[in-house]
Amino acid sequence: MNNIQIAIIGAGPAGLSAALELKKLGYDDLLVFDREDEAGGTPRHCGHLGFGMFEFKRVLSGPDYAKKLAKLAIDSGVNIKLKSTLTKVENGVLTFSTPEGIKQYKPTCTLFALGARETPRPDRLVSGTRSPNIITTGTLQRFAYLQKIKPFNKAVIIGSEIVSFSAIMSAKHAGIKIEAIIEEKDEIDSFCVIKYMVKYLLKIPVLTNTKLKNINGEDKKVTSVSVSTDEGEREIPCDGVIFTGQFIPESSIMQKSFDDFNFSNNSLYISQNFQAKDDGFFVAGNALRGALAAFKCYFEGKKVAKNIHDFIRFKHQPELIKIEADENISWYYPSMIDLKSPTKQHLTALRLKKRAKGAIKVLLNGRMIYKKNIHAFPFMSINIPWKDIELKPQDVIKLEFVNN
Amino acid sequence: MESINLNHLFPTKTSNFTKDEIFDVAVVGAGVVGCAIFKEFCEQGAKTVLVEKANDILDGASKGNSAILHTGFDAPPDTLEHKCVQRGYEEYMKIKDDYNLPFLNTKALVVAWNDEQLGKLDAILQKGLGNGVKELDLLTHEQIIKREPNLSLDAKGAILVHGESLIDPWSAPLAYVKKGINCGGKIAFSHEVKDGHYNGKYWELQTSQKPINAKVIINAAGLYGDIVDKIKGTQDFKIIPRKGQFVIFDETAYNLINSIILPVPTKRTKGVVITKTAFGNILVGPTAEDQESRTDSQTVKETLEDLKNKAFHMLPALKNHKVTATFAGLRPASDEAYYRVSINDEKNWITAGGIRSTGLTSSLGLAKHIFELHDTRYEKSPKADEKVTVPNISEFAPRDNQKEGYGKIVCHCECVTEREIKNACHGELGAGNVGGLKRRTRAMMGRCQGFNCEAAVTQICKNEVKNHE
Repeated sequence: MNNIQIAIIGAGPAGLSAALELKKLGYDDLLVFDREDEAGGTPRHCGHLGFGMFEFKRVLSGPDYAKKLAKLAIDSGVNIKLKSTLTKVENGVLTFSTPEGIKQYKPTCTLFALGARETPRPDRLVSGTRSPNIITTGTLQRFAYLQKIKPFNKAVIIGSEIVSFSAIMSAKHAGIKIEAIIEEKDEIDSFCVIKYMVKYLLKIPVLTNTKLKNINGEDKKVTSVSVSTDEGEREIPCDGVIFTGQFIPESSIMQKSFDDFNFSNNSLYISQNFQAKDDGFFVAGNALRGALAAFKCYFEGKKVAKNIHDFIRFKHQPELIKIEADENISWYYPSMIDLKSPTKQHLTALRLKKRAKGAIKVLLNGRMIYKKNIHAFPFMSINIPWKDIELKPQDVIKLEFVNN
Repeated sequence: MESINLNHLFPTKTSNFTKDEIFDVAVVGAGVVGCAIFKEFCEQGAKTVLVEKANDILDGASKGNSAILHTGFDAPPDTLEHKCVQRGYEEYMKIKDDYNLPFLNTKALVVAWNDEQLGKLDAILQKGLGNGVKELDLLTHEQIIKREPNLSLDAKGAILVHGESLIDPWSAPLAYVKKGINCGGKIAFSHEVKDGHYNGKYWELQTSQKPINAKVIINAAGLYGDIVDKIKGTQDFKIIPRKGQFVIFDETAYNLINSIILPVPTKRTKGVVITKTAFGNILVGPTAEDQESRTDSQTVKETLEDLKNKAFHMLPALKNHKVTATFAGLRPASDEAYYRVSINDEKNWITAGGIRSTGLTSSLGLAKHIFELHDTRYEKSPKADEKVTVPNISEFAPRDNQKEGYGKIVCHCECVTEREIKNACHGELGAGNVGGLKRRTRAMMGRCQGFNCEAAVTQICKNEVKNHE
């Protein structure tokens, strides 16, 4: 068993930027762990451009961004333990499987920067055959950019969140033809400019109001998908299916190890300081909620580093009240308010599961204290201000969305 | 960019015998039943060949089941099924340690959810006692909740069946085949039996590859049992494939229950089983849907939703957990509700057909029974008592990722190592297709379904296959 001061789990944008910041603040007894064999996190396999504009004032591809971030960390003396899989968290002890055997650490402070992943086919309960050719965008990216493999020839994309655009680019890179994008909702799930780019520049049919009914095929092979619209059912021949989006935190280890788990966010309850209820545990980046852009995770990493610094310096003991949310809300942050924190809570950010018109309400002990009329898309964050609200330790706070 | 499809990556396996060889016994079908029979005959010293149409073992009915080792408390009394289930259980207990096979005695609760079901518990208890299963207790509502605090408070009463246990449904048959080979048995993968002719001395089986000669044929062809049986001239039964759909929940749900939760069988509704698995998940299922097709194992959204809802009713806390996998298995049920085991002495043909959902438990017992039916003496294999082990992939014992030098963990959800994947690609009993790879390693079977590892697994397998060409 090794006693260490700070353990950071995950060497992606959030974890590495937190490590860099903590290093600057003078923390040397710090280890970053990652289960992969290289540092950088998800951007490693996002082959497209658009990374680094805010952090480094340059336009980089995902892999270049990941390399740059990892190099910065290593050059500043951050110790990154690769190929280390966290398998257990018990009584403040972290257990890792590593190629050198089982390793245990007892940190004063642990940051979970575990990242997120897409929801694959099973949790969506889709009818049809099983096949290794039914994948997610993340899998396709790893095929195309990390392994240089083309896993199939022509595919359909399920879902139209912004990540589906990345699926198109990755498919193009691998030489896979995209037959259609299929979206159940009546419009695409990202900014509509994307729709026109896909439709007119890339000439890929975008089928909205269209349900995936069945993945056809036998013996682990996909031959086509059946989709249905108001006009009826039809078949689209393909040998691959790419499920996109519906990101959820890679949080099973937290769910397994902590009693108090927030099922709305699929993460731990977290205060405005990114602090969990259990002493010395913090969560930041996409492990808090679905996927946000890398730069947001990067800046959140910097912020959480300062909170960890405060926690260690002042032995800060929080006084926490939980915020709960109803089922219309896909995620919200923070999910607790620390009454004793020097950083006063000023807002809660949330997103809705579906596009909707209605009102966001905040209930304090059952009484409405705030209401905001909104027309929101699932990819838009909505902010709720907290200033001027006095809270007491026994208060119960709930977020509600009511359709108009 | 190189085109590589995991489905087509594994080369067709070659067999190491000639077409002139005359075997004592040919076992048709490498499902769990065929594998167990193969082991038994090889140990007894018969020159045996296992003939399989797929490129791997367990490619049909045996790949999808609930992985429970049954006591036979609810088996139809005084039937061959009842006898083989109990004998199979005993045999498994005798050999499991030698083979490094996992076993977890979770016990099972047959739970009554309403008064009608409650009224049936006593009859189930009596049937169990009559079947020779002595360790049974009637539990009250309070006793159930004490044992299973997460179970719905609607549970009215239950029978606790002490012997019911969990095993690894894939490693066990693999161990059986490995033992058979070690005793001198041969395997012919990718040999589909098409027809056959009995020349008075031995059978000449026509296959999709070279012909196979054997003095005795044992038909363990599972979902194709009735078709293969026609080769002997008469057809005594018809296979009616029974689809069972399953929903697997993430490892986060594993500790929600302690025991296997079994339904009270009723005429109107087929109940749903909730159980832990050897791989650290919660399994819900199966459905029972009779169908014509022997290959259609597609899942249906509405059925999966129904399974989920039934499970949520019994175990409300399950709602907070993600679905890791959905799949369907096909049981080789026949037109009668019993095992279709028979011997045709004139033609030296033994049929082991209609081995329904109890096959995983009964196979070792059935294999002994069939050897007795066969009633021929051989000189016992000198290696019959030698130990043969298979790698542990269950959560009940330390896995490869606990032993250093494994390279790296490739599949993060299931903690599968590079070493495990490489090893699974090699040898006579290496993976023959992507399903076989999953069954040997658990790679890509976790909550992310390959989001993190499928590309890397494909690359590793490609290199391994290439290096060994």
